[in-house]
Amino acid sequence: MSAEAPHVTDHDDGAVHVHIASTRFYIGIFAALVCLTIATVKVSYYDFGSANIIIALAIAATKGALVATFFMHLRHDKLFNTLAFLAGFVFLAIFILLTYDDLGVRAKQMPWSYVQHISAETGELAPGGEPATSATQDDVNEEGPPKAGEPAKGEKKE
Amino acid sequence: MANVSETAAGAVEAGHDDHEHPGFLKHHFDTPAQQYNASKLGMWVFIATEILMFGGLFCAYAIWRGLQPEIFDQAHHFLNKIMGASNTVVLLFSSLTAALAVRSAQTGKRNLTSFYLIVTIVCAAAFLVIKYFEYSHKFHLGLLPGHCFGHPKLSAAIQNGQEVGTCLRVDVNAAPVMPEWVKAIDEEGHVTVLSPRANMFFALYFVMTGLHGIHVIVGMSVLAWVLYKNIRGTFSPAYFTPVDLGALYWHLVDIVWIFLFPLLYLVGKPE
Amino acid sequence: MAAVDMPIAGGHAEDAHGDPHANYLKASHGIRSWLLTLDHKRIGLMYLTMVCLAFLVGGIFALLMRIELFTRGRTIVDGETYNRFFTLHGAVMVFLFIIPSVPAALGNFFLPIMIGAKDVAFPRLNLLSFYIYLIGVVILLTSIVMGAVDTGWTFYTPYSVQTTNSVISMTFGVFVLGFSSILTGLNFLVTVHTMRAPGISWSRLPLFVWGMYATALIQVLATPVLAITLLLLICERFFGIGIFDPKLGGDPVLFQHFFWFYSHPAVYIMIVPGMAINSELIATFSRRAVFGAFAVAMSSIALAILGFLVWGHHLFVAGMSEFATMSFSALTFLVAIPSGVKIFNWTATMYKGSILWASPMLYGMAFIFLFTIGGLTGLFLGSLSVDVHLTDTYFVVAHFHYVMMGGTVIAFLGGLLYWWPKMTGKMHDEFKAKIGFWLVFIGFNTVFIPQFIMGSRGMPRRYYDYLPQYEPFHQTSTVGSWILAAGLFLTAYTLLEALWKGRKAPRNPWGSAGYEWMTDTPPCLANFHSTPTMTRGPYDYHLATPEELATGWDEVGGDPSENKKG
Repeated sequence: MSAEAPHVTDHDDGAVHVHIASTRFYIGIFAALVCLTIATVKVSYYDFGSANIIIALAIAATKGALVATFFMHLRHDKLFNTLAFLAGFVFLAIFILLTYDDLGVRAKQMPWSYVQHISAETGELAPGGEPATSATQDDVNEEGPPKAGEPAKGEKKE
Repeated sequence: MANVSETAAGAVEAGHDDHEHPGFLKHHFDTPAQQYNASKLGMWVFIATEILMFGGLFCAYAIWRGLQPEIFDQAHHFLNKIMGASNTVVLLFSSLTAALAVRSAQTGKRNLTSFYLIVTIVCAAAFLVIKYFEYSHKFHLGLLPGHCFGHPKLSAAIQNGQEVGTCLRVDVNAAPVMPEWVKAIDEEGHVTVLSPRANMFFALYFVMTGLHGIHVIVGMSVLAWVLYKNIRGTFSPAYFTPVDLGALYWHLVDIVWIFLFPLLYLVGKPE
Repeated sequence: MAAVDMPIAGGHAEDAHGDPHANYLKASHGIRSWLLTLDHKRIGLMYLTMVCLAFLVGGIFALLMRIELFTRGRTIVDGETYNRFFTLHGAVMVFLFIIPSVPAALGNFFLPIMIGAKDVAFPRLNLLSFYIYLIGVVILLTSIVMGAVDTGWTFYTPYSVQTTNSVISMTFGVFVLGFSSILTGLNFLVTVHTMRAPGISWSRLPLFVWGMYATALIQVLATPVLAITLLLLICERFFGIGIFDPKLGGDPVLFQHFFWFYSHPAVYIMIVPGMAINSELIATFSRRAVFGAFAVAMSSIALAILGFLVWGHHLFVAGMSEFATMSFSALTFLVAIPSGVKIFNWTATMYKGSILWASPMLYGMAFIFLFTIGGLTGLFLGSLSVDVHLTDTYFVVAHFHYVMMGGTVIAFLGGLLYWWPKMTGKMHDEFKAKIGFWLVFIGFNTVFIPQFIMGSRGMPRRYYDYLPQYEPFHQTSTVGSWILAAGLFLTAYTLLEALWKGRKAPRNPWGSAGYEWMTDTPPCLANFHSTPTMTRGPYDYHLATPEELATGWDEVGGDPSENKKG
């Protein structure tokens, strides 16, 4: 809060003073961003299991931070501008976490995969009801792709 | 979006030649620094609102991906990584030129500012062209959101009842039961399976990239307006706020894409 | 006002907006000078006109609904029309009236004055926000012509996706109104941060400004999520993207999460400004510094932040997971803490105060009483087991009307009466205002206390028909609505009458120490003749000079008896 301008006393002359980085510096940041883009594409060809998304998001966050810090001048800007920017992410995190907490837990409480459960009679989702009994439904309810898809998996390895 | 043009417009609108105050200073501000700080803070608050607006889509993405990771895994192979990566580099480059435009405005090099702004706008257009090719390919395959997903009317190949480059024979809307997983050929030519429930992935894909695309178009308009003002000689090292705010908006568009690219194109098991 | 320096360079704004030293109402003339004005005071008045009209429209729908419920079965309209009435009542009152009421109308007028600024940070944005609001109103009202909407103001899926009536124009209107709200909030945040006059440190910020600041925080952080929610709903109807459609693998409960992530914080967009006004009323009419003013300011910020953590309590019976219901219930109880801080501190402020029983103070007292009822019944609803019984009953209806109407509307009326002299330069008739207050107060309680009772006995909300045992409660409630309407019309008449027949108002008719009373009545175009430098806080009655506290009645001719201390 101390960062914002208390009226006239901000600068002696009241004129705008900014930090100006060199062109080479900006190009250096761009090069780093391109390297990170190549890295994230390359990494996507290896399987790290559930860490895939963490790696991808970590690289994306680094890139975003570089853009915000240097291209958007947060490094030399008022602290409160950084706070405003981060507040967006904090409240977004609240939104995603508390919503995910509900839907994630809700889906796990159900023995079948939540979104795939369709009532055989009406074609509508039947939350909380008994699983439909059609054969197709049972196939789908098993883990992963159904048996029908299995041969296809074999094919793709060739 | 509105506030970019508005604050900037407010700022640009010449005040009155007063012996104490420069022309760009609005009457209700005391100093140029106060005006500049207010404009910057306004833009940053606006950026926070944009983050939350896109945030709704990221929330939906997190939930559906959490609930059906295997479907997302399969569906994301139908996006072209190379096109996505090229688009990322194009946007990053446009971000660089936007930052350099601000720098040259700060140092008073007017022609250089115009040049960088033009390059930024051209890159934005290039991004949209690449996006157009991606979209039209998806349309052709019937990889569409919601009830349009694999819609027979939208794919000639499907009407022939053949598995030519697509699997999507099933009208999910009309299916009385959960449709079966079906075979398909993905972007890299592999035959794979795709659940008709991949409609959710493509719903998110189109809404997220579509909203981002709208922001790209708005960003282009803002930058074009800044370019016009720059050519008319409105800006100087003492007053470059609209260039700065336009560039901030453009960087925001870039940051959103930086997150969209891996989430849509990259996460999932490699083939 | 203590020290005065830095005379405003005359002629700055002269040709564009008029003489900065002239009365803002008379600085320029003609309809264009209003429609294209950049003066925050005129924009505030235009907003005030619009929100009052919206209040009238929403109120008429409420009266029609109450008349329909006077007897069982059909009274004046059929069930479908009734559904449209309650949808329009909700949508108009929430989106067109309450959300912009205090911030965009009174806040716009007084926030810059209270921080000694000449205007808000972005005057053009302010005007744009007003016109976006107007566009939103037009789009929203076209949905009435196009067949109206019967989804309720919450637009819950899947019904809102399936129904054939004009959901798109209604939601698009709300989408547009959201932008107006964001722009106002953004403007206020920046104004408070960068435009404060010398001497107005954060610790000296008036509590009204703190409330506006907290409201603005919510507006900019929550409203974008409403925008994306409604955008998805529109996409759902246009393209069938299926995110909220179970048939396509979507989840309607997700819509509720999205919707309430905005709409619960929006409840604080509605009530925090009411609390902000009330802090001013209680301080002025008790002649005392607000007890624990810093705690009251921080409780506004705390409400703004906690408001983001509790939206799930609207979904307790929607099929949320057990863990989520428990955590949201626990978080909901936390909201009672900052609300309690405010109630206790206002009460402590009045203790040994020198209370002036003017009409605004009556509204201030009523606010404390009614908001306490509204807040405490909220705790019932926040308890999981009780909520199962009370969800979607008239108990909920009564609860949120005690908060929204008993809180915000009462504070809005109090604020209007309190600031009317400053805004218009005319004094209203205190006697009529007090009669109006009592009619509003009695009418309001007559409407909603029966609703608490029948709600707890199981009368569901939004129903067109009801069982015989609820008839006396519904009839009492309907009669109450007529008393309430009479009170509101009398108050409106009192305020409008003041414009024509009212005596000229002095600079500080209530003898307040607040910053906004230091300037002219009505304020000059630049708000102050020179940039003020404050050397005391807005509630420092012990530091205020006698000239600052003087009502100024002698300047305009005589202190009328009803304004003497009672």
